[in-house]
Amino acid sequence: MSERRKRDHWSLDRRTFLKAAGLGIAGVTMGRFPFESFTMDEAMAAAAKAGETATPTICAMCGPAANCGVYAFTKNGRFIKVAGMKESPVNKGGVCPKGQAAPQWVYSPERLKYPLRRVGSKGEGKFQRITWDEAIGIIAEKLKEQKQKYGPESLGTLSPASRTYSEYVYRFLIAHGSPNYGHSGICSTQMSFGFHYTVGDFPRTVDYANSDLVLVWGKQPFYSGPAQEAARAYVSAKARGAKLIAIKPSVEPDVGLATEWVPVRPGTDAALALAMLHVVVSEDLIDKPFVEQWCYGYDKLKGHVQKYPPAWAEKITGVPADQIIRIARLFATTKRAGIDLGNGIEHMPASNDTIRAVAILISITGHLDRPGGNVFGRASKMPKPKNVNLVERYTKEWVDKLVAPEFPRPFQPFTHSKSAGTTSYYFGLFDSVLTEKPYPIRAIIAPGSQAIVTTRGGKRVVEALRKLEFYVVADVSRTSDMPYADIVVPLATPYEIDHPFEVRDNWIMARNRVIEPLADYKSIFEFICDLGVKMGYGADFWGGSMEACMNDQLKPLGMTIDELRKHPTGILYEMLPRKYENYETTFKRKSPAISHAPFLPQGMVAIYNTSFEAAGYSPMPEWREPPESIAGTPELTKKYPLILSDYHTSNVYTASWQRNVPYLREIHPYPALHIHPDTASQRGINNGDWVRVESPHGWIKVKAELYPGIRPDTVMMLHGWWQGCKELGFEDFPLLDGGANVNIMYSVDRKKAFDPVITAMSSQTLVQVSKA
Amino acid sequence: MSIEYGFSFSNDKCTQCFGCEVACKNWRDGELGVRWRRVYKIWAGRYPEVKLASVSVSCMHCVDPVCVKTCPVQAIQKRPDDGIVVVDKGKCIGRKSCEKECPFGAPQFGADGKMQKCDLCLSQVELGKESPPCVETCPTKALQLSKLETKEKGTIENAIQKLVEGAASTR
Repeated sequence: MSERRKRDHWSLDRRTFLKAAGLGIAGVTMGRFPFESFTMDEAMAAAAKAGETATPTICAMCGPAANCGVYAFTKNGRFIKVAGMKESPVNKGGVCPKGQAAPQWVYSPERLKYPLRRVGSKGEGKFQRITWDEAIGIIAEKLKEQKQKYGPESLGTLSPASRTYSEYVYRFLIAHGSPNYGHSGICSTQMSFGFHYTVGDFPRTVDYANSDLVLVWGKQPFYSGPAQEAARAYVSAKARGAKLIAIKPSVEPDVGLATEWVPVRPGTDAALALAMLHVVVSEDLIDKPFVEQWCYGYDKLKGHVQKYPPAWAEKITGVPADQIIRIARLFATTKRAGIDLGNGIEHMPASNDTIRAVAILISITGHLDRPGGNVFGRASKMPKPKNVNLVERYTKEWVDKLVAPEFPRPFQPFTHSKSAGTTSYYFGLFDSVLTEKPYPIRAIIAPGSQAIVTTRGGKRVVEALRKLEFYVVADVSRTSDMPYADIVVPLATPYEIDHPFEVRDNWIMARNRVIEPLADYKSIFEFICDLGVKMGYGADFWGGSMEACMNDQLKPLGMTIDELRKHPTGILYEMLPRKYENYETTFKRKSPAISHAPFLPQGMVAIYNTSFEAAGYSPMPEWREPPESIAGTPELTKKYPLILSDYHTSNVYTASWQRNVPYLREIHPYPALHIHPDTASQRGINNGDWVRVESPHGWIKVKAELYPGIRPDTVMMLHGWWQGCKELGFEDFPLLDGGANVNIMYSVDRKKAFDPVITAMSSQTLVQVSKA
Repeated sequence: MSIEYGFSFSNDKCTQCFGCEVACKNWRDGELGVRWRRVYKIWAGRYPEVKLASVSVSCMHCVDPVCVKTCPVQAIQKRPDDGIVVVDKGKCIGRKSCEKECPFGAPQFGADGKMQKCDLCLSQVELGKESPPCVETCPTKALQLSKLETKEKGTIENAIQKLVEGAASTR
């Protein structure tokens, strides 16, 4: 844009803005062309015309909710571009920027090229090239030795999110004998837990198509899977005239499309939810028949919430009491309404209580599994492929051996997906290395995870990695943790392999190889299988054959992988019609815990939670302050007057990945601190200035983005920054102080910074911001 | 009045995913630092009554393109049959007069110093589609290419020009 047009961004007054926007909308109705994306035939024809090849496959640029169908185009054996697959029910032909930029990710100079063995000291980054056989041999030898000396539980794994390979990681751990699958706990499992133990299922989905009101709470519906149903449902609901109320600390594109913004202080959502319960209960805005028939402990709730009036919540949340009252009333009295709760509420010490309070709010107001409300899952006619995680081998002893249970032992294993099984939380896993309590983890395998920049307490993680006996990094590109690895295993991208198949709801499709591997790569699946065989667990690893593995999994569908491949754009099974009010069956569901106790002991919504009470936790949702906050630690606000929190994904990056992809980095080149223009001007900070952000735990140097849509008492930035981009001349940032890694800024006090039940980590602290 | 190709854009549907911008670059092998299509944030109002919208903009292939008039060497032309504005790189002397005048920031200059911009992809034989990749990739159909009467197209140009003028300079 020319200099002439560079302006301050809030220069447009509201009237002009709305007028211009209105005209923009009018333009669309004049569109004459039908929207089309590529079908298989069109993709093939377009490719043939240009002397290219089009391969139907599945995008690999985000997760865990990946699975967008794409056509990958190659020319002379080189992967050059991507188009959306019209046949895919997931993305219906759309592709987001991450998916479009895939070729640059595949050909990045950051790709690891061969297996490496560390030769320098830990953290120094000196490695020597070795062969695959040597790498697998060294890892197997070490794990066997440790298993004999310290027991199999001395091995832990990291996995950043539920991904297709998660169940293979479980398979390896369980074959080996360890319960210590490390879970980062930042993405929907915490929420699933709280919901399951309150309403018997995870009714995360709001029936958008039939809703008149959706509270979009702590949620970013566009950035994770922008080409998928969540974004389409949101935009369609708006077009239909449904009210969308966004509850979060800053304005993102979804808030731009919302009817109302509720700017809540980071980490205070439980207080907001409790105050809304207060309004609903005090004003008797409940669904009486539902509460009487299906809820346990409503009378106790009535007394309990008296502590949490809206005026109390205003002081904590920063949301005016009258706004809290109005929204609570609106939600309770709108028949077709739901709460679309997002991962944002999994990043605070009162996380489980936020989830429970919201689940109770949905239930007592009559919005559970009803049209337009929060609905239970919907089944399809597709038989489920066989799980490969081996969780049927668990006994109580496995749970007892957990080094740092992510959920309390009586609730282990807990799951809501194929990545089933027992879990230790990331921070506890690392902390055991340092404290040796209850015993030290001796080896960690990190496939697709870089804990220094993604989990809270990066400084503590580095200390643990220095002490850890054996660390294996398995990844596509260089990671932040790699300098501490003993062995580095270079993985193929999913564009270079033809396995496994992918499943999403009622759609199953074989992955196809787009290009031959660019170097001596194996897939994460092959790595796990090879290691399993080398360890002597070959009988559990299909003798190392991925084809046999996939055929085994596909048995319930009555087909082989070769037969599935004959359907180049996959097979779409019919969805069963949605039925509402599935209380009878859902409320009786048994948990996957060793005891197989039902999620809901009374067969009713657990307003008063006797399972939690028996395990020593509060039976009803309560309020807990973040470790540092304006209302909770006012003594700190003189030195650190602003709240800092972070975003976990963005429109162009998936969490901490992809900073090395030039087309994406051009769009979001610098770690940007969103700061309100008034807050910035009080500090003499201009747009684009480098600023120093200091908390009681560390400091970072990032660029100020003057951001009119953020609470003036709050600053926020994207997490996961460290990696440079060679093509654009960007160097790496330091991993700890002075870098851009927001995760070093937070408290990791075991008593204050973690949710006592679900180990959710706080991502709120207090900071000062000054010109760097 | 005649019929021309023209982009239309609905900021009520745009999720600011930037798919259009990267699709453009990837399908046209875009040079780093050159952005034929751009997505901008637009802010209005004051906290807490603040509004955010967006605009995705490339060359609008204007009904009455100012760049054509301003080019001192007639390197830019509007094709009479379909209204597409094209650049003759052989003629361009890189004076950037067009960049100064274009209200959409369309003219871009890469390493060769010659003007380059969106050509609607209609010159791309391999495309074989009626819509360019920026439109094809849009998950919510916020961006569309249409055949428009020049009067309609002019109205859209004015609306998008207003949005671009209010756009954030956030990078």
